Amino acid sequence: MVRKILTNKGAQIKIQQMIFMILVVFFFFILVGLFFLSIAMNNLKKSSIDLGEKGSMLLVSKLANSPEFSCGNAFGTSRINCIDFDKLMALKKNAGTYSEFWGVVKIELRKIYPESNIECQSANYPTCGIIKILDKNVKTLPYSSNFVSLCRKETSEAGIYDKCELARLMIASQDRT
Amino acid sequence: MIKKRGNKGAIEISFGWLFAIVAGIAIIFAAIYLSSKFIQVGQESIGAQTGKEIGILLDPLETSFESSQTTSITIPSETRIHNKCEETGKFGRQFIQLDQKNFNKWVKTDVDVGFNNKYIFSGKEVEGKKFYIFSKPFNFPFKIADLFYITSEKEIYCFDTAPEEIKEEIFKLNQSNLFSKNCPENKMDVCFGVSKCDINVNYARGYVEKGEDRMYFSGLGEDSTSLMYAAIFSEEAVYECQVSRLLMRLKETSILYKDKELLTAKKGCETNLEGDLIALSKIDSSSGSNGLVTLKMTVDGAEEKNNARSCLLW
Repeated sequence: MVRKILTNKGAQIKIQQMIFMILVVFFFFILVGLFFLSIAMNNLKKSSIDLGEKGSMLLVSKLANSPEFSCGNAFGTSRINCIDFDKLMALKKNAGTYSEFWGVVKIELRKIYPESNIECQSANYPTCGIIKILDKNVKTLPYSSNFVSLCRKETSEAGIYDKCELARLMIASQDRT
Repeated sequence: MIKKRGNKGAIEISFGWLFAIVAGIAIIFAAIYLSSKFIQVGQESIGAQTGKEIGILLDPLETSFESSQTTSITIPSETRIHNKCEETGKFGRQFIQLDQKNFNKWVKTDVDVGFNNKYIFSGKEVEGKKFYIFSKPFNFPFKIADLFYITSEKEIYCFDTAPEEIKEEIFKLNQSNLFSKNCPENKMDVCFGVSKCDINVNYARGYVEKGEDRMYFSGLGEDSTSLMYAAIFSEEAVYECQVSRLLMRLKETSILYKDKELLTAKKGCETNLEGDLIALSKIDSSSGSNGLVTLKMTVDGAEEKNNARSCLLW
């Protein structure tokens, strides 16, 4: 009787050892898995940021030539990186329609010369220097920018003429990390 | 331990062994399940990244004043690009979904990469390792968008009956799957004027026929062939959806030009286009390529009026 109880106790200890070992091995593999998962997630996060930045960089170099911004033939022949200021003010008025269109959260244009820190509204146009087309209140990746010429129609005593100024087009994508 | 019990042939397995076997099987299955999920997620993320990269690569292909641009993409493994188009919202949406071949099996990824400002014309499914992309602007009457045409190196098109200007353009594109003469075998014949080929183009009346499907095209000036190429390289459903999306963008761009005209009028410019622009901003974009035919008259009228202005609106 005493011997049987002792044998049972020994078996119970062995079972407990085994359970403990199995749990340790299981948690070890889970930890290893989590380690690799965190590396993979970090890589994914990095590639998401890289793709966002790359997208913004390539978009900003071509955005000025898109139909909503470009001068077209309105100022003589076609020009690269020429933004129609009059059309831009119309775009600003209809900005809500285009909020998701380019997949970026900030689109801003700043006149470089002559410099001005006044934000453009229909009342102060064209004596202003900052035009915000999209300005979503979210965390963003760094701005990508491109130099453009900002052209508009002007009038003088001699008649209507084209006036172009130097500006900087800036865009930023949302930081989703 | 496993012991033979008595002389009846029964086997006694100790609880320790039984527990180890059950727990071991559970752990192995959990490990297999988790690693297969992990691989699946990895493949989906590769598919999503490649899709996004293709979309990003299209940006430099947007034209400024060039008539067309071309490039190619080579993906390391055999890939299927699913071209999906939706007409929802103000501009509709373009989706790219990629499936890649892994150990000779197609791995489906459920991740769609979406763009609002891209118009990709191709079959619903394009398969291969090397893909050719070329782009052309679409003006109607002002520039609406750049159109992208994706073909696989496996799809060979023969344009040997095309008018000279189209042959010349195909030759200049320098794509190894587009031939303007000396076409190889296993090609798809694109015929102009002859009506019993794989793809038949009626250049004068502005439509492309593929089997039972007829797709209408239209355009202005030098880039009037943009939609013709789109119809040649696309399946009907993709073409009609993308044309509807282009018409959606035409409507919104017309509103911008209408507002611009009011703004320039204050500076002494003419206001002769308001009626046409209002008409263009109210078109039925869901009519698809059929609507292009009726729209052409308004567009031609607007183009003529714009050219007559002292300050051009576009």
